[in-house]
Amino acid sequence: MSTRLVLPPYVSARSAEAVAAFCQQALNAEDDIEVDAQRLKFVDPLGMTMLGATFYSAHEWGASVRVCGLPAEIGGYLRRMDVFEGVELIDCADQPGRRHNRADALLELTRLERTANSDAVAYQIANALVGNFPDVDPDEPPDEMTGYTRFERLVEPLQYALTELLENALTHARRGGYPNANVWVASQYYPSNDLVRLGVVDNGCGFLGSLHGHPELRRETHLDAILTGLRPRVSCNRELGIRNDSVNQGVGLTTTSRIADRAGGSLMIISGDGLHRSIGPSGKMGPEQYWQGVGIALECCRSSLNEVRFRELLPGLEVETPVRLRFE
Amino acid sequence: MHNSFILQQYARGRLVGARATAAPLRELLEGALLRGEECILDFSGVQATQSFVDELVGALILRHGPDILASLIFRSCSDDVRAIIEFVAADRCDQFLKTRAH
Repeated sequence: MSTRLVLPPYVSARSAEAVAAFCQQALNAEDDIEVDAQRLKFVDPLGMTMLGATFYSAHEWGASVRVCGLPAEIGGYLRRMDVFEGVELIDCADQPGRRHNRADALLELTRLERTANSDAVAYQIANALVGNFPDVDPDEPPDEMTGYTRFERLVEPLQYALTELLENALTHARRGGYPNANVWVASQYYPSNDLVRLGVVDNGCGFLGSLHGHPELRRETHLDAILTGLRPRVSCNRELGIRNDSVNQGVGLTTTSRIADRAGGSLMIISGDGLHRSIGPSGKMGPEQYWQGVGIALECCRSSLNEVRFRELLPGLEVETPVRLRFE
Repeated sequence: MHNSFILQQYARGRLVGARATAAPLRELLEGALLRGEECILDFSGVQATQSFVDELVGALILRHGPDILASLIFRSCSDDVRAIIEFVAADRCDQFLKTRAH
């Protein structure tokens, strides 16, 4: 016996509700899963990470996943992105010669297990994206005034955002009864509209599980938890006192959202039945639309990345340091 | 006596980023500070995330109070790094003082 599911045509941040419904159905299946992919037209990095996480979880439980009828023009791309690890592909013809060579613009779906990887992965992704832009030379001499190369100006905001997103995912996801939570990341540059898209997804406790009981959380709903988590200086372990593990300042997600905004883009967050878009509609998703954990899609305009200055992204503070800081 | 901590050796590219990278460095720093030594954090050629600076400096303030800052010297900071250090220090000092006031 197997459960037959139909993949929606768009597996992307813009259709996150439909993707969440598909993933939830797959995760609720009590037997093997057969996926009808005939209608599939487009998958973005968030969609890849959600699919990858779902297929991985099903595989972990011992269910086999078969994908049928994958259109040839998208199948090769998704295979290159390593979305189908452990998945059996049936009637999914590849079309030699028609597959786009996107080696210059993507980073394959990657699963992270340990916190120590986040620095390396953030650096790898940012470099892979920017280093292969056809008009950017990583070896060009730095600007004499600033000491920066254009390559570095483009890499650093992406690396900064990715580090914060991966740190958040790896530290928060495993709280509240999810010690085995994993994190998936994928990215893609779209030259036709100069957009960089990142997807970071975990299958952990979610915003509500992380902020449960927090004094700043007025209502115990997934959407409220997302919005509370976006407020500066709110974190599940900021106010809990000094612990052996690290404390969080509750600023990383705010800063990441502002990086996307400054770079002409947007942030989308899905957690539980809550969906927040920095541009566009937010709200509670429909019945059976649910993501256990957190999914974040960041989109930004590549040509605006070099305008990001980190000092301009910090939240305002009305307090001063009581001890004079010594800079030299 | 001054202890100098060169952040460049912890950077990926030009960025020091993850809390996990800062935590072992903070332990070294904390040991030196508790021995009464002044410490220099040398940010030459690097940018830093707010999380990294918070794990390195903010956690020290939460443990030992604002006075720990008197033994720290921040060297060769870019405008961005300086702004992040000032933000983290002000926020964590405020949090420490409010917690102690209750």
